[in-house]
Amino acid sequence: MKIVIFVFFSIILFGCSDMSSKSAFVGEVARSTSMPVGTVSSESIYQLADTFQTQDNKKITLSYFMGKPTVVGMIFTHCPYACPRLTADIKDIEEKMNSKKGVNYLLVSFDSERDFPEQLKKFANSYGLNQNWTLLHGDENAVRTLSVLLNVQFQKDATGNFSHSNIISVLDKDGVLVFQKEGIDADPAETIGTLKQLLAKR
Amino acid sequence: MKYFLSILMATVFFCTVQAQQKTVVSEKKMVTVRGGNYKPFFISKSNRPVYVTSFRMDETPVTNAEYLIFVKSNPRWRRSKVNRLFADTNYLRHWKNDLEIGVSNKIIYNSPVVNVSWFAAQAYCKWKNKQLPTVAQWELAANGSPKDFKYKSLTDFILDWYTKPSPRVLPHVKSTYQNQYGLYDMHGLIWEWTFNFNSFAASPDSRRNGEDDFKNFCAGGAINVADKTDYAAYLRYGYRASLKGNYCISSLGFRCVKN
Amino acid sequence: MIQISKKSIFSIQMFSVLLMFSVLFFSCKSNPGNSDDGSNKIDTTLTGTVSAELTFAPNVPKPIAYTSPKKVMVQLEAIEKVMPISDSSEYTFWTFGGHVPGNFIRVRQGDLVDFTLKNAPESKMTHSIDLHAVIGPGGGADATSTAPGQSTHFQFRALHPGLYVYHCATGPVPLHIANGMYGLILVEPQGGMPKVDHEYYLMQGDFYTKGKYDAPGLQDFDETKALSENPDYVLFNGRVRSTTGANALTAKVGETVRLYVGNGGPNLVSSFHAIGQLFTKVYMEAGSEINRDVQTTLIPSGGATIVEMKMQVPEVINLVDHSIFRAFNKGAIAQIKVTGAENPSVYQKLK
Repeated sequence: MKIVIFVFFSIILFGCSDMSSKSAFVGEVARSTSMPVGTVSSESIYQLADTFQTQDNKKITLSYFMGKPTVVGMIFTHCPYACPRLTADIKDIEEKMNSKKGVNYLLVSFDSERDFPEQLKKFANSYGLNQNWTLLHGDENAVRTLSVLLNVQFQKDATGNFSHSNIISVLDKDGVLVFQKEGIDADPAETIGTLKQLLAKR
Repeated sequence: MKYFLSILMATVFFCTVQAQQKTVVSEKKMVTVRGGNYKPFFISKSNRPVYVTSFRMDETPVTNAEYLIFVKSNPRWRRSKVNRLFADTNYLRHWKNDLEIGVSNKIIYNSPVVNVSWFAAQAYCKWKNKQLPTVAQWELAANGSPKDFKYKSLTDFILDWYTKPSPRVLPHVKSTYQNQYGLYDMHGLIWEWTFNFNSFAASPDSRRNGEDDFKNFCAGGAINVADKTDYAAYLRYGYRASLKGNYCISSLGFRCVKN
Repeated sequence: MIQISKKSIFSIQMFSVLLMFSVLFFSCKSNPGNSDDGSNKIDTTLTGTVSAELTFAPNVPKPIAYTSPKKVMVQLEAIEKVMPISDSSEYTFWTFGGHVPGNFIRVRQGDLVDFTLKNAPESKMTHSIDLHAVIGPGGGADATSTAPGQSTHFQFRALHPGLYVYHCATGPVPLHIANGMYGLILVEPQGGMPKVDHEYYLMQGDFYTKGKYDAPGLQDFDETKALSENPDYVLFNGRVRSTTGANALTAKVGETVRLYVGNGGPNLVSSFHAIGQLFTKVYMEAGSEINRDVQTTLIPSGGATIVEMKMQVPEVINLVDHSIFRAFNKGAIAQIKVTGAENPSVYQKLK
C-alpha cells in the first residue's frame, strides 16, 4: 500500500515538473534511473525509483524497506568465493543481532542477466536465508545506480562473472546510508553496534 | 549482416527520436563508432579483450548552452534545487545562477559543460533518449586515430594535456582534434563521465600491479596492466577510480551515446 | 565513513598495553632507545588537540613543545602548478602545498595524526599520499585517493621516531613523484631532538624534461628519459639554484646546523656530501642509529637522513650529490653561508 501511495505521489510530482519537457519520464516513473523523488529524506537512497524483483518475484522499489534499518550487500550468485563469504558475514551479523524482526537483510545482485528471481530463490534456500532476507534482481541501470550510491565498485568480465568490492552497508529506517564496512571476514562489532543504536532510536 | 541490421535499426530509431524531438533547436550531431575489440587496461585471465558492438556517439561533449536547455525543462536539476546525494556543492558553480550561464560567461556557451555529476549526466542522456557510454565504448571511441594531427603520437598529446593544469577558461568544443570516427575532443579538452566509471575493482594504488588483493576478484587470477608504459591510460583509470557519483569537477563533463 | 582507522587505533592501544607489560618483564634489558619493535613505552593517552605547524623548504617547524601525546591536525593540499625549474625553463609541477618539496610536517612519537588531504579544484589529476611514517594500508594511500576539488581523511599513530618521506601514490606513481609530489614528516622521539642552533629542510629529486637542461620555455615530462633513469635535472628543493647565493642557508661560526634531508627520487640515490665540512653526526637513513664523522652519506630514493655539522670557519659550504656530474651539470647544489671570525687553528690559507 505504501508503495502504491509512494508511486502515486511521485507520478504527481513528476507530472508537474516535467510537463514542459518531452522526457520519457511520465508514465515510466518506475523504470527511471537516477532521478530524485521528492517523498523521502533528501539523503535517502530510497529516492531511487527503479523497480527491482525479489526472490519471490515481487516487483518493488527500494522504499519497500522503509521503516526498519537495512543491511545491504551486493553480490552475484555464480560467485565462487567472495560473495558466499560476504553472505555468511551478514548472516553472522543477523545471528549476533539475535532479534527475530526489526532489521532487513538485503542482497542485490550485480548479475542482471543470470540472477533472476528463481536463481535468487535457489541461492537463498541453499544458504538458509530466512524471511528477514530479500534478494533483488534489477536491470543494468538500476544496479549500476545503486552501486554508485553505495560506493561499490564492480565490473563484468569476459566470462560473465564480476570483480567487485565487498562492502556491507547499513541504511537507517529512512534509507540514509549511515555506516559501511569494507572487506570479507571483517569484525562485525561496529556494524552490530550501529544497528543496535538505530533500533534503540526507533 | 547482423552489423548491417543493427545500423539500420539504429538509424530508424534515431530518425524516430529526431522526429519526436523536433522542438529542440539544432539536434546534436552523432556519429557512428564501428564495433571493435576493447582491450581492458587491467587484464587478468578472465578480463580479456571484449567485442564492443557499433554505437552512435555525440560528436562533441555536451555544451553549457545545451545543458541549460535541460535544466530549464527539468527544474530539479537546477543548481539551487539539486539534491546533494546526486550532485555536490560544486554543481554548475561556474554558472551565474540557476538559469543563466552569465553574460560575462558568454565565452563558454559553446564550451563543454563541467561541474556536473554522474547522476546529472545520466539524467541528461536519459532525457535525450540516450545513455552515458560505458568505459569500453568510451575507450574504443577515444582510441580512434586523429585526422590532421600535429603531435608525434596520440599518447604524447594526451600526456601533455594531462600534465598541464586546467585552463582558466575552457575552450569551445571542436577546439582540439577530430578522429577517424568524426568525434571531436575525445582527448585534450575535458575528462568525461562513463556509465560504469566505478568498475575498477583493483586498488588505484598502481604499485601493486601484478598482484592485487585476490579476495576482490571472484573471477580470480592476478590483475595485470596491459601496458605499463601507457602512463596516459594509468592516469585515466586512476582518475575514474577516485570518483563518486555526486562529484562535480571543473574539468569533468560528458557526452552521450545511443546503442 | 568506512571505519577502519578507529579499530586499528584501538588495537594499537591494546598492543601498547601488552608491550607495557612486556617491558615490565624485560625491563632489565631495555635501553634508552627503543626495543626491537621500537614501539614500547609509548604513551598514547591523548592530552588535547593541536594543529601542526607546516613549513616550506628550507624552513623547519619549531621543535615540539608539548611533552605528552596529542591529536595533531594536519591538512595538505595537492596543487598542480607551473613554476620555474631553472632560469630559462618552466615545468608543470605537481605538489603538496604549491612547493617542491611539500610542507614539512613535525609531530611527536605517540601523537595521533588526523590527516586531511585536499585536492585543489583546478587540479586535473587525482592525487593521494603515502607517508612512510604510517603503518597501515598503502601508508595512507588506500584512504586518500582524492579527486580534484575533493578531500579525504584518515588517522594514524606516529609510532616510531624518525624522518620519513611522503609522496603521492596515485598511478602511475613514478610520474607523480617525478613531477615533485613529495615531502618530509619528522616524528620526534618522546624526549625531543637535541637542541641545535639551526634546522633546515632539503630534499633532492630528479626531473625529466623533453628539452635539455635549461632549455627555454615550458618543458613537458619525458617518459623515455624517466624510464631509462636519465634525468636532465637533479635538484635540491625543486629548482636550480633554489638554495644558493642570496637564497643560501645561513649560520655563524661556532653554531651547530642540523639538516633534514630527504630524497624523493624517483630514480636516483644520493651521495650526500658537504664540500668543506663533514657530518659530525648522521642519523643513518634517518633512523635511530647515530654515526659520527661521516664525509658522504647515502640517501636512498624514498629515504632520508638527518645530519649535523659544527660551523668552524667562515666559508660557503656546497651541499652536493657527490655523484658529481649531477652537481656540476644537473643542478644538485645547495649552499650554507657561514659568517664569523676566522679560526686559523682550524683552517688557514698560507702564502
